[in-house]
Amino acid sequence: MRFSSVRTAAFVLGRELAITALLLAGVSLVVFAILFLAPGDPFSLLLEGQMGDDAVREALGVPTAWYAQYLSWVSNILRGNFGTSVHTGLPVLSEIIRVGINTLYLTLGALLITLVIAIPIALLSARMGNTSLTLPLTIAAYVISALPVFWLGYIAIYISTHRFGAFPIVVGSSGTQGLNMTAFLLPIVVLGVGNGTISEVVRYLREEMGRVFAEEYIRTAKAKGGSVWRHSVREGFIVPITQIIATKIPFVLGGAVVVEQVFNWPGMGRMAWQAAQTRDYPLIMGITIIAAVIVRMGSLLQRVVHFMVNPAAAGD
Amino acid sequence: MAVEPVLTIEDLRTYFYSRSKRAFIRSVDGVGLQVRRGETLGIVGESGSGKSVTALSVIGLIDAEPGVITGRVGFRVNGTEWSLLPSIGDHVSLAEEDGRIVEVVKDNRGWRRKVDRLMHGVRGREISMIFQNPRVSLNPFVTIGSQVAESVLLNTGIRNRREAAEKARYWLEQVRMDSPGLRFAQYPGDLSGGMCQRAMIAMALSSEPSLLIADEPTTGLDSTIQSKIVELLDDLKKAVGVTTVLISHDINVVARLSDSVAVMYGGTVLEYGPADRVLSPDFLPKHPYVEALLESIPSERHIKDGLLPRAIEGEVLDTVNAPRGCRFFDRCHRITNGIEEKCRDLEPDLAEISAGHQMRCWLHIG
Repeated sequence: MRFSSVRTAAFVLGRELAITALLLAGVSLVVFAILFLAPGDPFSLLLEGQMGDDAVREALGVPTAWYAQYLSWVSNILRGNFGTSVHTGLPVLSEIIRVGINTLYLTLGALLITLVIAIPIALLSARMGNTSLTLPLTIAAYVISALPVFWLGYIAIYISTHRFGAFPIVVGSSGTQGLNMTAFLLPIVVLGVGNGTISEVVRYLREEMGRVFAEEYIRTAKAKGGSVWRHSVREGFIVPITQIIATKIPFVLGGAVVVEQVFNWPGMGRMAWQAAQTRDYPLIMGITIIAAVIVRMGSLLQRVVHFMVNPAAAGD
Repeated sequence: MAVEPVLTIEDLRTYFYSRSKRAFIRSVDGVGLQVRRGETLGIVGESGSGKSVTALSVIGLIDAEPGVITGRVGFRVNGTEWSLLPSIGDHVSLAEEDGRIVEVVKDNRGWRRKVDRLMHGVRGREISMIFQNPRVSLNPFVTIGSQVAESVLLNTGIRNRREAAEKARYWLEQVRMDSPGLRFAQYPGDLSGGMCQRAMIAMALSSEPSLLIADEPTTGLDSTIQSKIVELLDDLKKAVGVTTVLISHDINVVARLSDSVAVMYGGTVLEYGPADRVLSPDFLPKHPYVEALLESIPSERHIKDGLLPRAIEGEVLDTVNAPRGCRFFDRCHRITNGIEEKCRDLEPDLAEISAGHQMRCWLHIG
């Protein structure tokens, strides 16, 4: 029995890794294709206003065919070399890691805020149905989730600075990386509230909990005098919560791009934005690949949790 | 009748409100039953006759509204007496029209809280339940062994996890689980339906209850497995001797395991008495419904006389529009001119026709 569960684990892990590899190949190809088809290329960017491209290309042995360019980029990435930023000349990977930490703070903090708001509403309304307490809370969750995050960000800045003079709002210029603890909070709260996922967490979790409460095995638990919560927590809470976190990571990352821009937060999202504006090809492609890896890691984590909750059911 | 009743149900009514029909579904409509210590009471009836709802009402597991609206359920073990239903007057007010309930106002939240308080220490500990569809009635995320052990920890004096696991293993052996040691660590999804039902039975018995309610324990299983489960229940009945309420639409199962039988139809009991009288085709008098019911199942007699089982004509009673008179009126073949009017307009009482044998029919209580 133990052996078979180890085998299932290996199978699930192997399959997930294969999916990840396929996905990354697909993402890299698509990003490359978009940038390749866009006017201009890194080479002409580097040599702007200088001698004719083709001659230099040939002299430096830079491939012109798209597949040759793609393969040389991918093979470098596989060796851990993401290239150097056209703009700053710094290695892409270490730059991403440096600012990625800030984005990690921002997104994890925001996710925590989202869950802290959404979970109690979901649990209350799953347990009690629509009451004079849960209905307004649910409606509020939907209204808040409908607010665009950039608008929420500016409103938050307006209120806190102009009304209360609180918070040093601008977190850091691109040069300074030191983060001030109080300045930390506002962007995190804004992203947590405004990433548009609160209502979905509420809806999904409430639905799943409600469904599990109505399962026959919960009736059995009641019939033997056991705790309903103890029996419903795995299928009704842990599984849906990891599922929704995994599926909402892209949305939180997307929201982070906007929030980092609004609050001048020195993170990956703002770096991506700047890279896109300055056509910093290696940086754009590197960030995209890293973002895809993060999203996949979320799903992987979800699979691991599912497996821990129920080894028997995780195989399918 | 010297043995004291363990469970006494009086005038139980459990209604559900149907939004689409804007009317009450009268699932259980005035049921009264008694279960004496050590006996097995079989409840038979077609689907929708209110058998399961009666059982769920008794242990307070009705979730839909309004649920139980009248009745009294007494439960008595070793001189201790419990009332399993909150007093109706505190939570329910009814409006009647022509002797029929047309409006119910019920404080469901208060009711549920009260029921849970009344059931504390009774549900699981004194009364255990076996459900149909064992595969979905066990928690798919918890191993079989842990689920049985949990019942032991919750409902017996055992507080030690290892002892509880020991006890769980003992009960898995008692229900003749093959290789109980292996099954102990498996999840319900790894087991067949029959094995799951054995686990369910082990779990129900592991709390050493005073009353066991088995709700369609063989439904949804292969017929070979069905007969094995019936055999197991029969053996356990002899070995453990637990007082049982057995609910089934399978007359053969009920006939084999029960001491007394209640036949339900449209939310009421039509005939109630010793199993060998009620379910024997040769014992007369019979309620016309029970007679038709026995005609509808294949038996030795059919084979001997070369007859085919006969289906009961008509539809199962729609309890939303239950007739004013006898509930079996539309499908009954025994109505005579003399009583037709009475049958149509007036519901007969469940009256004693001989000692311990009750019937709800104008033919016999006229």
